Amino acid sequence: MESKGGAMLSLHGVCKRFDKLEVLRGVDLEIKRGEVVCVLGPSGSGKSTLLRCVNLLEPPEEGDIRLEERSICKGPGSGSGEQSWELDFVRQRVGIVFQQFNLFPHKSALQNVTLAQEKVLGRSTAEARKKGAKLLERVGLGDKLDEYPERLSGGQQQRVAIARALAMDPHVMLFDEVTSALDPELVKEVLDVMRELAEEGMTMIVVTHEIGFAREVADRVVFMDGGVIVEEGAPAQVLESPREERTKQFLGLVLER
Amino acid sequence: MEEFLKQFFDVGFMVDHFDEVLDGFWVTVQLSVISGALALVWGLILATLRQLPGKALLPVRFLTIAYIDVFRGVPLLLLILIIAGGIPALDFLPEWLRLPQWFGKPDSFWFGVLAITITYGAYMAEVYRSGIESVPGGQMEAARSLGMSHGQAMRSVILPQAVRKVIAPLLNDFIALTKDTTLVSFIALNEVTLVASDIQSETFNSSALTLGAIMFLVVTLPLARLVDKLIAREQGRFTRGAPRVEAL
Repeated sequence: MESKGGAMLSLHGVCKRFDKLEVLRGVDLEIKRGEVVCVLGPSGSGKSTLLRCVNLLEPPEEGDIRLEERSICKGPGSGSGEQSWELDFVRQRVGIVFQQFNLFPHKSALQNVTLAQEKVLGRSTAEARKKGAKLLERVGLGDKLDEYPERLSGGQQQRVAIARALAMDPHVMLFDEVTSALDPELVKEVLDVMRELAEEGMTMIVVTHEIGFAREVADRVVFMDGGVIVEEGAPAQVLESPREERTKQFLGLVLER
Repeated sequence: MEEFLKQFFDVGFMVDHFDEVLDGFWVTVQLSVISGALALVWGLILATLRQLPGKALLPVRFLTIAYIDVFRGVPLLLLILIIAGGIPALDFLPEWLRLPQWFGKPDSFWFGVLAITITYGAYMAEVYRSGIESVPGGQMEAARSLGMSHGQAMRSVILPQAVRKVIAPLLNDFIALTKDTTLVSFIALNEVTLVASDIQSETFNSSALTLGAIMFLVVTLPLARLVDKLIAREQGRFTRGAPRVEAL
């Protein structure tokens, strides 16, 4: 396991708006190598947008994001839209898992995991299949290589999605409410995979409503509301004795269930 | 009644002219298959151009949309007449383009192919577009987040799903295309309509045209049934295990 050291990812004053709606209003966050950060907050607080800014699915309007100490914004004069971002640099280092899985329905589990390896990393079919099979084995789906997504349960699909992201050898993994679309009995199998990943030293940002997971696995918990980080700290501190009134309110509502 | 049957359904007459009409119908089939294949490909190219991302490619998208709007709005017959009358008059073109006689087919055949491909390419582009737009946005996001370019994501992820969804409507357009090949008779291509219509003018008996119609039905009815089957299968996919497929 790598030691938790230098900054893997740092965000400074990140702002994002959709038309008039300000979703992120200046977010500063630093994530160390090997750190697991859980992001909590009510819906609409900007948690998902924060993740989508980091991997440039929704490039921020203002602020700076540094990945492995390199700015991912190319700066002025580099062109418009996607051209102004270090898209390849980011996407090759940052993996994301979505709430809705977004598996490719016309591909088998194994093909889902091998497609980008071949197209993007240029791995041979044999190499990609070997890696894919190993990863699917690791997430407990060694017997489902040739199944198509529609024949897999939600929990199984989400584990395929995790394997698909891991196949690209990411340095950071983003999890966007990955258990929110799952039936309750399927949540654990996905969280178990994520827990193992954390133990192996993967740098992870996990947007979640699973307070128990945050308490057990996170090195740090971040609470967001209204597009800013309201409070952050060790899980025990933020979850057991929050300083901010809004954090208390939110945790009160969540833990009541 | 007897006169009615003799005029439209004279079996002996049909048998006598069967070979002639069939020769004409064979031209119709070739025209349909070649134009249909080209329109399928051209439509896909147009639909892909229409989906190109970014500000820089705005002119490409604009031109593509303009093309589709124009050629869906212009009657095919007008286009056939414009092409067949216009291109041979363009003296600066080499003769093999001005008066194409490729593969032993007359120039009217190739002008028909061109006009039908232009028009049906526009129709089919719209069908492909509906398919592309029916693929959930998360698919493109997932592909891009794995590092694929827009083009790679289109080719490997979006289009395979989109095309599968629109096979039935594309086949519908192909049936319509097959029937519209009859318009090429206006520029003297000896396809089934012209052959049968010539027989009608010579004999004052319409049974050859009826025979042509029957030949069309022999082809189009099975295609129509196939469309129904494909639609039923596509709907079946969505009703079985609905929530999971919906979630994708």
